[in-house]
Amino acid sequence: MRKFFPVEELARDSRFNQVTMKDRMADPRSALVKDEPRQKSNRLVPSRPDASAAARGLMHGIFVGEIQALEGAGRTCHDFRTAGDSARRAQDDAHGEDSFADAVPFALKLDMARQAWDEARHVEISVKLSDWMGSEIGEFAENTVLFQAACSTDPILRLAGVNRALEGLAIDVFTTMKEFGDLAGDPYLEFCEDWMLADEVTHVKMGSDWLRRVTEHDPDRRKKALEFQSVVDKLFSYGGTRSDSQESPIGLARRFRELAGFTDDEVEDIAEVSLAALEERKASVARMQATAREFAAS
Amino acid sequence: MPCTGVRPHLGGIVADPYKPRAPFAPWDRRELPGLFDVEESARRIGNYKWAEMKLFEALGGWVATVPELDVKMRLGTHCYKHAWHAELWHKRLPELREMNPERLTQPANDAMVRFIEAMTEPEAPEQTIEKLVGVYRVFIPHFIAAYTFHKNNTSQITDAPTIRSLQFILQDEFDDWRDGEMLIQSLIETPEEVDRAAAHQTRLEKLMIEAGGIAGPGSIGGAGAGGAS
Amino acid sequence: MTVTVTPQTFQFVHFDAALIQRVAESLTAALGLDRPVAIEVDETTPLARISVEIGDTVTIRAESGAFEDTRRPRHQSEDATAAALGRVLLRSRDRLLGGFGEAPADDDLSLAQVAAWETYCVGRLERIGLPVNRQRWKYNFRNRHGFSDVADLAFDRLWTSDGLTWGELDEISRAAAGS
Repeated sequence: MRKFFPVEELARDSRFNQVTMKDRMADPRSALVKDEPRQKSNRLVPSRPDASAAARGLMHGIFVGEIQALEGAGRTCHDFRTAGDSARRAQDDAHGEDSFADAVPFALKLDMARQAWDEARHVEISVKLSDWMGSEIGEFAENTVLFQAACSTDPILRLAGVNRALEGLAIDVFTTMKEFGDLAGDPYLEFCEDWMLADEVTHVKMGSDWLRRVTEHDPDRRKKALEFQSVVDKLFSYGGTRSDSQESPIGLARRFRELAGFTDDEVEDIAEVSLAALEERKASVARMQATAREFAAS
Repeated sequence: MPCTGVRPHLGGIVADPYKPRAPFAPWDRRELPGLFDVEESARRIGNYKWAEMKLFEALGGWVATVPELDVKMRLGTHCYKHAWHAELWHKRLPELREMNPERLTQPANDAMVRFIEAMTEPEAPEQTIEKLVGVYRVFIPHFIAAYTFHKNNTSQITDAPTIRSLQFILQDEFDDWRDGEMLIQSLIETPEEVDRAAAHQTRLEKLMIEAGGIAGPGSIGGAGAGGAS
Repeated sequence: MTVTVTPQTFQFVHFDAALIQRVAESLTAALGLDRPVAIEVDETTPLARISVEIGDTVTIRAESGAFEDTRRPRHQSEDATAAALGRVLLRSRDRLLGGFGEAPADDDLSLAQVAAWETYCVGRLERIGLPVNRQRWKYNFRNRHGFSDVADLAFDRLWTSDGLTWGELDEISRAAAGS
C-alpha cells in the first residue's frame, strides 16, 4: 500500500458522486447574491422557509465530511513512521520513501487511531440521522475538499489542516445543527449533534496540543503550520458558507473553539479570513453572472 | 484494627473474623510456575506491540481504499482497538524492566516483516476480499493463538498484569475476528471469489509459517517456547 | 393543454427545456388540469423555490435548484422536475376545483400550512406513481408541527387523503401544531 493517498482515488460505491472545490466554485449561480434580499439572514434556522431541505443538505455534507475525516485520520496512522520503529525505517529506506516522511510520536498515532474510531462512529450517526431526515446515501454531491487538507506529506501541516481547520469547521457546523435541532424541537438531531460536538472539541484539542508539543523547539515549523492552517481555514469557509456574517448559513462557534484550545486572536483571525472568503465569493459570482449575461445578450 | 492478641467479646452471634483462613480460597486454583521469565515475557510483548502497530497502521491506511461503506466503518473502528492493544503492551514493557520500550518493539524476525509487506500489498478498490482475508483469516487468528498460549502458560500469579491485558485484548480479537469473517462471507459471492480468498490466505499462511507466529517460533509452544519455568 | 418553458436554452445550468415541457405535459394530463401552463426558470440561483400564479394561464416560476440533480450540480433531474412541478400543479388544481376558496394566497400561508399542503400534494403524487421519499416529507412536516405522535398521525392522514377542503386541511394542521 502506498504512502500518501491521492484525493482523486478515494474509494466510494456507485451511489456517490464526487466534485472538487474547483467544480463548486465554477458554478456561476449563487445563493448569496440577490438583487433584493428576500430574507434577512441566510443562517440555517428552522424559521427559514427552506429549513428542512437545507438541513438535509447540510446533514449529507456532514456525512461525507465524516467519511473523509475517518479516511484522513486512518491515513495519518499509516503514512508516517512511528518514532523508534526501526523495522519500518528499513522498509521505507528500501523503498526510497523516507526522504519526506517525518517520524511522529507513538502517542500521536494512538490519538489518530482513536480519532478514526470516533469518525467511524460519526459516519454511523450521520447515516442514522440522514435516514431520520429522509435523505438517501449519495443524494447530494460529495465535495472532496476535506480530504485534500489531509493529504499533506508533513505530519504537522496535516495536523494543522485536519485537526485544527477541518475539525474546527466541524465544531462550527455541529453547533449550528445542534441549535437547529434545539429550536425545531427535534430531540434526535440535538442529541446526536451534542455528542459529536464533544468528540470534535476533543479532536481539535488534540491538534492544538500536538502542534504545540511537536514544534516546541522549532518556531519556524510552527509558523509554517499555522500559515497552512490559515489557508485551509479560508478554503473551508467555502466562499462564505461559514462566517460571523448573517449571510453565511453556518456561524463561527467561538465558545467551543475556545474550549478546544484556540486563542482569542486565532478565533479573530478565522473570523476575518471567513469574511474575506465571503466577499471574494460574492465578487467572483457577480463577475461570472455578468459574463454569462453578456454572452447570452450577444 | 491492630492485632493486640486480645480478642474482643463477640457474644457468639457473628462469625469470628479472627479465625485463620487459607490465603488462597479453595476455588482459587492459580499456580505459581509459568513458562516465561521476565525477559522472555518482555520479548514476546515487544513482538506483540510491533505486530499490533502494523495492524492498526494497515487498517487505518485501507479505510480510504475500500469502497464498501460498512467495511470502511469497521476498519476505522478496529484500527483504534489494535492501537489500544499496542498501547497496553507499550505500557507493560517498562514494568518488565525494559525502560526503553522501542528497543523491544521489534518484529519477531525478517519473515514477519515480509508477512506484513505481503498483507498490506493489496490497495486497489477491487481487493477488499484480499485485505480482509489477510487480517481476519490469517493475522488475527495468529494473534488469538499467540495470546491464548501466553495467557495459558505464563505464571498466573507473578504475571497477572499481562494476563489481565491479554483477557481484554482477546475479547477484542474474538469480536473483531467475528466482524471480519462475517464481512468476508458477505463479500464472497462466487466460486472464483472463494478461490481468490483461499489463494491469498495460502500465500500469507506460508509466510506466517516461515515467521513462526506473532512472536516467532514457539509463539504457541513447541520448539523455541523458551523461558524459565 | 399547452406548456411553454422559458428560457429555451440555458447559460448557467445544463437543463433541457424540452424535458421540462414533456414532464409538465404528462403531469397536466394526469392531473386533468385544463388551462395552459407557462414555466419560467430562474437559472441564476441554485435555490429551489417555486411559485405559481393562477390566471387564464398557470404561470410557474422556478429557481434552478427546484429541477436540479443534487448528485450532479447544475444538471437536471427528471424526478426532481416532476416532483417540483407536480406539487405546484396539484396546489393549482386544488384552488381551481373549489373547496380551497378561503385558502390564503401562497405568500400569506404560514410555514405550517405550507408543510401541510405539501404533504397532501406529495401523498397524492406518490399514488399516481411519482417516486417520492415519504420520510423526507415527514421530516418537513415535523419541523413545522412538532416531533410528536400527534403530528405523525396528522401527517399520515394528510398523506393518505384525497378530496380534502382547505378547511379540513387547515384544521388537521392546526390540531397537530397545537398539540
